[in-house]
Amino acid sequence: MKVFTKKTISFWNILPIFVLILFLAPIIFIFTSLFSNFNDNWNHLYNYVLIEYITNSIYLILGISFLTLIIGTGTAWVVTNYNFYGKNILESILILPLAIPPYILAYTFTGLFDLNGTINIILRNIFIFDSNFILFNNIRNIYGAIVVFSFTLYPYMYIISRTAFLSQSISLIEAGRTLGLSKFQVFHKLSIPLIRPAVIAGLSLVIMEALSDFGAVEHFSIVTFTTGIFRTWYGMYDLKTAMQLSSILLLFITFFILLEKYSRGNQIYSKPGGSSNTYKIKKISGLKSLFAFSFCIFPVLIGFILPMIQLIFWSINYNLSFFDKKFIQIAFNTIFISLLAGLICSFIALLINFSLRLKKTKLKNYINSFFSIGYALPGLILAIGILKFFSTIDDLFSNFILTGSIFGLLIAYLIKSYALANSSFEYGFTNISSGIDDSAKILKSSGWNLLRRIHFPLLKTSFLTSFLLVFTEVVKELPATLILRPFNFDTLAVSTYIYAAEERMYQAATPAIAIIIVGLIPIIFLSKMIQNSKVSK
Amino acid sequence: MKKFKFLLIVYIFFIACSQNGNQVNIYTSRHYDSDDELYGLFTEKTGIKVNVISGNGAALIERIKSEGDNSPADIYFTVDAGNLWKVQSEGFFQSISSDKINLIVPENLRGPNNEWIGIAKRARVVFYNPKKVSIDEINDLSYEDLSNPKWKGRIAIRSSNNMYNQSLVASLISNHGIDSTEIWAKGFTSNFARKPQGNDRAQIIAVANEEADLAIANSYYIGLMLSGTKGSNQLEAAKKVKIHFPNQNNRGTHINISGAGILKNSPNYKNAIKFLEFLLSEEMQKNIVNNSYEYPILENIDPHLLIKNFGTDFKEDRTSVSDYGELNPDAIKLMDRVGWK
Repeated sequence: MKVFTKKTISFWNILPIFVLILFLAPIIFIFTSLFSNFNDNWNHLYNYVLIEYITNSIYLILGISFLTLIIGTGTAWVVTNYNFYGKNILESILILPLAIPPYILAYTFTGLFDLNGTINIILRNIFIFDSNFILFNNIRNIYGAIVVFSFTLYPYMYIISRTAFLSQSISLIEAGRTLGLSKFQVFHKLSIPLIRPAVIAGLSLVIMEALSDFGAVEHFSIVTFTTGIFRTWYGMYDLKTAMQLSSILLLFITFFILLEKYSRGNQIYSKPGGSSNTYKIKKISGLKSLFAFSFCIFPVLIGFILPMIQLIFWSINYNLSFFDKKFIQIAFNTIFISLLAGLICSFIALLINFSLRLKKTKLKNYINSFFSIGYALPGLILAIGILKFFSTIDDLFSNFILTGSIFGLLIAYLIKSYALANSSFEYGFTNISSGIDDSAKILKSSGWNLLRRIHFPLLKTSFLTSFLLVFTEVVKELPATLILRPFNFDTLAVSTYIYAAEERMYQAATPAIAIIIVGLIPIIFLSKMIQNSKVSK
Repeated sequence: MKKFKFLLIVYIFFIACSQNGNQVNIYTSRHYDSDDELYGLFTEKTGIKVNVISGNGAALIERIKSEGDNSPADIYFTVDAGNLWKVQSEGFFQSISSDKINLIVPENLRGPNNEWIGIAKRARVVFYNPKKVSIDEINDLSYEDLSNPKWKGRIAIRSSNNMYNQSLVASLISNHGIDSTEIWAKGFTSNFARKPQGNDRAQIIAVANEEADLAIANSYYIGLMLSGTKGSNQLEAAKKVKIHFPNQNNRGTHINISGAGILKNSPNYKNAIKFLEFLLSEEMQKNIVNNSYEYPILENIDPHLLIKNFGTDFKEDRTSVSDYGELNPDAIKLMDRVGWK
């Protein structure tokens, strides 16, 4: 028995390090660019464009953080605390925009709000304004981009904050109220600090996603750090400088991750113990109910319903011949690879988080932040790192194994979407009281046994959330798929891109709808779960 | 679970198997539906299976590079001479030895040492709104004239991230040198009607809607719009604009190519040659120009009627297209310096 325990513990120690190496190897390939010389193109970048790249990226991140915080956390607060008209449906459909990739929302937004876009035309027709009437002047600017990102990314904040609000110890809040805090003070002094880790986890996902995006900002003609990376690579044929730029972006993100970890310090956010109190929901009616309803329906309207209408309108106007035999193959590919990636990624995240919990050292705690770093890299740059990593391995074995294989593609997805899986489990584990572990230890349950019999049943929701988040991400994933896939292996995102890259939205609309439908399947499950989690509380 | 594993193995096996036998492997950055049709016709005619990976041109180059000697790629097919130049300059192409091909493709549309060839041509032309631009203004207009202050606030063009604009500026650098081109670009940029946005088609629509008086865009877009397959809005817009071929009095209108080359480590060289010859056959040239509205390489073939109506006897710029690639980095930096977004 003793030997067995020793073996298990060593496995739990080795696993995170092994996975970390796998995850970091491609990124190290990118980082090595920092150690080669900085060529003349840096002079040019520094003198003419770098400042604009940086300031635009910062504005973008600040704007998106602010808006997603208000929309995501705000709606989560409203639906967990109040009962109002349409609340049950709204609670589920608030996550729908997750199915729409930012670049597709950007395309539909220009279709809707451009000078001669659908909305302006409709307004002119309804109110018989003359043809010069323009309500939305120009949305292809940084504000437009902030709106687009916020309305596709807020569901991350919503899901995470909602879970956090729900699992807040109600007794703590009641204690606060008894001790004479006002409603606002409860929100400000108790609720907010208590969900801080969740909010930060959500925000970092949102920020990383926004920083890595190329499609939407390019479409809105905004120069950001990421468009700069690609301009340097594609236009100046200078991949090395592009990789150096990416490394600098990564260094900044690493710095902020560490800063956040440090500021959280040694506070333990583990739950004090089984608090199964029912969460008290206040019923509101009248104007208040109307306000709550409008506040919650608005993001769904902008982030999902309007763009869907525009897409359907486009695809009807063009044709629906996309749904043929080829489509079935492509949809099958997409679902197959997303399922696989979702399962594997969630298992790995579960194991890693478990192993980190077994023996929590400061070092391990910091290590965990680095697993997620792949998420912040522009997809194509990460793909290049993976390509170099794979070809090094392939060379070692002197024939092809990884590059252009399904297996290689899967590894790429794992690295890219681990952050999503991790955030679900990280939070899930903080919710399991450490007392449970201690009791288990007394009952001689440890290692696999502890994981399988105690933690896993408690983490089912985290597992499902993680699986679904990764699934939707992989369905939408584009750059790594494009460059790493085997011959003739198309996914829905690839078919959309093929048209959207040329702004042939009429043709892109049908595959885009297909992505959204496939992406919706797990989201429907996710919202079912949200419903259930509420019932069980 | 067992069943699932079994299915997985079968599936992976299936994917692995589908890559053996008589085949040709194409890495392409052209994303046209009609290209799928071309591949199908080729297989039908020759029995050679076509395997395709499509993606961004620069990213595909990286894949070819990191695959190195093991690369399964036979053909690199792209829509910009710059990328072809880039692959050649890194030494990843080999000479295409086919008398048939050498006979058909004119020299300026071939890479040095015959390492790549044009498959179809596109011209970068001026689209103008006849309501806003007079005959006098448009007659004999050259790219160079567009830096004249009389065009202030009248020109629409897409962002300098776009490779067609980069090639255009590179061709100007090739003819006038960096300094004069920079002076030109300063004037040209200050004449923009709006911040560069959207693709070429969006520029043509802007001209039709009188947001700008003239636009620079690729020739085939007007064909796509006039065909009506892009919806009635685009058809209406396309009817409102006219085409002008710039620089007819001197070197001619700027031309770029869709082109392809055979890779150094091509495992199916013979099939690759067959494929390129197939693309240059009369039948396929007709197919290409009718689907993509590009200009053919073969001289006895007419472009699509919608394009032909705008005239085909215009003078083409004979500047070697491989210059575009070489000067592309200079073009980018120049556009950064003058603030062409």
